[in-house]
Amino acid sequence: MTDPLFILFYIFIFPGFFFLFGYALFLSYLDRKIAARMQQRVGPPFFQPLADLIKMLGKEVINPDGVDWRVFDAIPVVALAAVMTAFLYVPVIGASPLAFQGDLVVVLYLMALPTIALFLLGWLSRNIFSAIGGVRAVTQLFIYEVPFFLALLTPAIMAGSWSISAIVLWQQHNLWLVFLQPIGFIVALVGLQAKLERTPFDIPEAETEIVAGPWTELTGRRLALMHLTTEISLVVGSALIAALFLGGPLLPWTLSPPWLNPAAGFCLFLLKTLAVLLVLSSITVATGRLRIDQLNVIGWKYLASAALVQVGIVLVINYLWVTP
Amino acid sequence: MPEVVVPIGPHHPALKEPVNFRVIADGEKIVRLELDLSYNHRGIEKAAEQRNFIRVLPLLERVCGICSHSHATVFAKGIEEIMGIAIPPRAQYIRTIIAELERMHSHLLWLGIAAHEIGFNTLFMWTWRDREAVQDTLEEMSGNRVHYGMNEIGGVRCDLTPAQVGAALLRLPNLEERIKKYMDILNSEDTLLIRFRGVGRMSKEEALKYGAVGPTARASGVDYDVRRDDPYLAYAEIPWNVITDTRGDVYGRTRVRIGELRESLQIVRYCLENIPGGPIRIDAPKNAPKGEILSRYEAPRGEVAHYIRTNGTDKVERVDIRSPTLANWTSVAMCLVNQNLADIPVIVAAIDPCLSCTCRMVVVNQKDSTNGTDRTNVGIAPDPGDRRNRGRP
Amino acid sequence: MSVLREMIENLFSRPVTILYPWKKVPIPDTFRGRVANTDELCIGCSKCSLVCPAHVITMIDGPRDVEFREKNFARKKRPQVDLYKCIRCGLCERHCPTGSIHLEHVHAGTGTDRDVMVT
Repeated sequence: MTDPLFILFYIFIFPGFFFLFGYALFLSYLDRKIAARMQQRVGPPFFQPLADLIKMLGKEVINPDGVDWRVFDAIPVVALAAVMTAFLYVPVIGASPLAFQGDLVVVLYLMALPTIALFLLGWLSRNIFSAIGGVRAVTQLFIYEVPFFLALLTPAIMAGSWSISAIVLWQQHNLWLVFLQPIGFIVALVGLQAKLERTPFDIPEAETEIVAGPWTELTGRRLALMHLTTEISLVVGSALIAALFLGGPLLPWTLSPPWLNPAAGFCLFLLKTLAVLLVLSSITVATGRLRIDQLNVIGWKYLASAALVQVGIVLVINYLWVTP
Repeated sequence: MPEVVVPIGPHHPALKEPVNFRVIADGEKIVRLELDLSYNHRGIEKAAEQRNFIRVLPLLERVCGICSHSHATVFAKGIEEIMGIAIPPRAQYIRTIIAELERMHSHLLWLGIAAHEIGFNTLFMWTWRDREAVQDTLEEMSGNRVHYGMNEIGGVRCDLTPAQVGAALLRLPNLEERIKKYMDILNSEDTLLIRFRGVGRMSKEEALKYGAVGPTARASGVDYDVRRDDPYLAYAEIPWNVITDTRGDVYGRTRVRIGELRESLQIVRYCLENIPGGPIRIDAPKNAPKGEILSRYEAPRGEVAHYIRTNGTDKVERVDIRSPTLANWTSVAMCLVNQNLADIPVIVAAIDPCLSCTCRMVVVNQKDSTNGTDRTNVGIAPDPGDRRNRGRP
Repeated sequence: MSVLREMIENLFSRPVTILYPWKKVPIPDTFRGRVANTDELCIGCSKCSLVCPAHVITMIDGPRDVEFREKNFARKKRPQVDLYKCIRCGLCERHCPTGSIHLEHVHAGTGTDRDVMVT
């Protein structure tokens, strides 16, 4: 499967950038529609995220006084490139052809880049609201990143490999990791909600407190690209959780016509990411926003200790039962 | 971070009306607050001096959109007392029904706004959906969703038909259930509890010292309600309770407001079922005798007081409006010190601020400490006069 | 938990939004809508113009023979209302002796011409 034409098709068309783009807009639509229906509203029509994207791309770009506009232009592009690259290592129709040992770490690193980008944007806009928002974004990153990484480390320990595709393969021969590591699954979901900066963790972008935080001075195509980055992070995050805990796109048995396997795998991928989205949307609708010092308490007291407990349990299980 | 000035307002997503808080913050802790309230001044008190008693009531109603009936009623009641006329009991009951419906719609609106300020948009959508039932009732009874225009000097403008009474009574049980549910949500929902408890605490002594009124003061244990302690309209004949709380923080104020929602619903139900028959207005004289009166009323936000001075003509000589939000701002400025930056919208929203009510002109003469009322030299133009003959070529 | 249960219930029920313009909110007949004047009943007494708090009613020339309280006389004026300045308070309707000027039960409408006059 190292045919260069196939690799190019995989990266750019399906399930690479083109599919990612479409799926990100679809998941964004579903997220808003589910949230609206839970509040007894109607919600946006199907093409709304695409319409928003096109509209924002066409708007005027305003450079605030004294701000380095070249850096301002570059940062959203870097953030978008990071999350799009991260998607290439997540298995969508089977094992990813670009997989290698350690791609889990690469994906986690790339997914942290948008938060650093927001901090830089907040710091560079000469605006008190953006500065406060940027500082809050990085504070939040420090708080949730430790439990999030630990919770995603435990599948790697249990499967004995640092490659997401290998973990998915391990789950095909054994149980789904959500049954073996339920605490880790919950910590990973909460950490993902914090990474995506959705309620109750949308502290950097608190609309009623600091206007829009680091997003305040973004206009036009910069806002469009940063928004697209958030939507694509949602896809990558839920695909990552689906792969690491819910078994990814592989069935426990192989089907008879060989082309049916990737098709069934793709359907499973869709179902599992939709399930993760449903949970994330419900959390968004059901809660209000926390304060950053309250998040500090909750993050270190409950999330980090739960993640550590989970790591301990996994180490004990590994010691007692030798994993194949 | 060193001390920075965070400008909350005059334009800010947290505020529904312009007000300028210059918050001096050290990191996330507030050190000091500088308040500028004058953005919504429209010169209503001066304009009221040039309109006769029929034309001044719609003007005073438009002091505020949410508590419009309060301002019109307190003025009408004051003028009626100066004139020495007593309005018929059916008019008193109709005024009470509209007043309590207004209190309900205001408190439901407030509940939604408070939830929105902490990012809990679901509760915002649900409370505003239930508020539509109250608005539909008000629209059927008076003709408009805000600015009801029910008051006249001498009574009420239009009557309640039995169909309207029946329709209103049918909407009440569903509302009662929803109000109970909101009390449950308040007591059990974790993010609400964690954001509201202990935030902006004001003790009873502080509430009395800074002159807080309304649910803001009642949540700190100040047991004062103008409807019970200085009864007007039909409140002396209706069984109802004053809701107080001892906590004094935003959570306490929320409990007081939801409790008042429940009580208002009971009052509306009692009035609709026991409304007396009879005329709805009496003929009022054209001129008011010379006199002055301080007329008070319990608006949804607290005690609104109109000081009215008449001089024998058909216009007032001076009306001075002390709205409840004006009395509550000092307590906000005191409560905000040493709180978190993230709590500003919550604490400000907890007094239910209505800037349109607040911005009145107060002239204090520091030399001999009299309260000046001479505003002819501040450049506010008088009424353009009547237009009976405008069309003549 | 009550929030969660209600959220799931709402997911499976219809939204409460009334989808304007395919469906409209029913307007009660006490609604104070657009101002209108019935020329046959108007006697030109100018009470509406005197009582209007926003000064939007001016009296213009409008001679007509009218009958009021068993007496016939020639009316000289009739009212003209600036439609988009009217605040729909209803005082003109309340004080009109014949009931000619009134508020209809439709919305005041929208338009691009700011000086639409209703006579």
